[in-house]
Amino acid sequence: MRLGEPGKMQSTINITPLVDVVLVLLIIFMVMAPEMRKGPDVNLPNTTKPSEQGDERGRVLVSIDEKGALWINDQMVAAQDFGDALRTAAADDPDSRIVIRGDARLNFREIRQAMLAIEQAGFRGVGLIANRAGAQGEAHAIQ
Amino acid sequence: MQFNRDAPGTELQSEINITPLVDVVLVLLIIFMVVVPLLMRGYDVDMARTSAEPVPAQTAEERLILSIEPTACRVLEPPAGEGLPADCRVTLNDQKIPASELSSRVAQILGGQSAEKRVLFLAADDRLNYEGVLRILDLAKSDVEGLKVEFIPTD
Repeated sequence: MRLGEPGKMQSTINITPLVDVVLVLLIIFMVMAPEMRKGPDVNLPNTTKPSEQGDERGRVLVSIDEKGALWINDQMVAAQDFGDALRTAAADDPDSRIVIRGDARLNFREIRQAMLAIEQAGFRGVGLIANRAGAQGEAHAIQ
Repeated sequence: MQFNRDAPGTELQSEINITPLVDVVLVLLIIFMVVVPLLMRGYDVDMARTSAEPVPAQTAEERLILSIEPTACRVLEPPAGEGLPADCRVTLNDQKIPASELSSRVAQILGGQSAEKRVLFLAADDRLNYEGVLRILDLAKSDVEGLKVEFIPTD
């Protein structure tokens, strides 16, 4: 719409501000996504076909970091307080779903001990969380 | 637009059409907003009860036990790349088999069973690397639908 040009209405909506806002929102979400994870940074094992475990809401997250320290959701707990802290986190509901986010560099011993402790605290069954290794599909053949 | 040059009432559209761009960006935004609540993937496992309580669906002889020994499958460190070391061997009901045959063997044994009998008992040595154990578990589960996994202690 140049000035002086005889009356031509701009018939399209100006969506530039909308695009600006959306892009900014997108960037905010992209930056925030890794920060919003509960618990410590854990280098999860990579496997080919882990099945869906739902999202983090409604789950009790037990994380085991590379040093073998135990975390429940966002808090590090000592091994001797683990059972009590777990029952508190699960609000004493024995049907709570518990997942273990264990570091890939750990020995199986740490995971097994955590599973035992979870069972001793009165919960049945856990989910062992893994990342799906690269999207090369059926490349799970032995190297 | 050679043809339309003289036609009255047509004009070249001089603006970039950004509607598709907006569409794509909005979809990306929605994907991020949905994924941020953090979907997780993993394996449902159980600890076999160590007490005297018997496992209802199975007698001890019927159990399919997969044991992993660090001497036969050397995964004491996170395995490099994807998959497992080529010489990895596991023990399935006292039979040593290469890990590459594991998924087909398990499918062969448990594939025809009823759902509640599809249970694999896994005895993994404490010294093994966790990622290695999970990869073997992944392999064992990959060809059978709804396979339940129970960990049992090694002897």
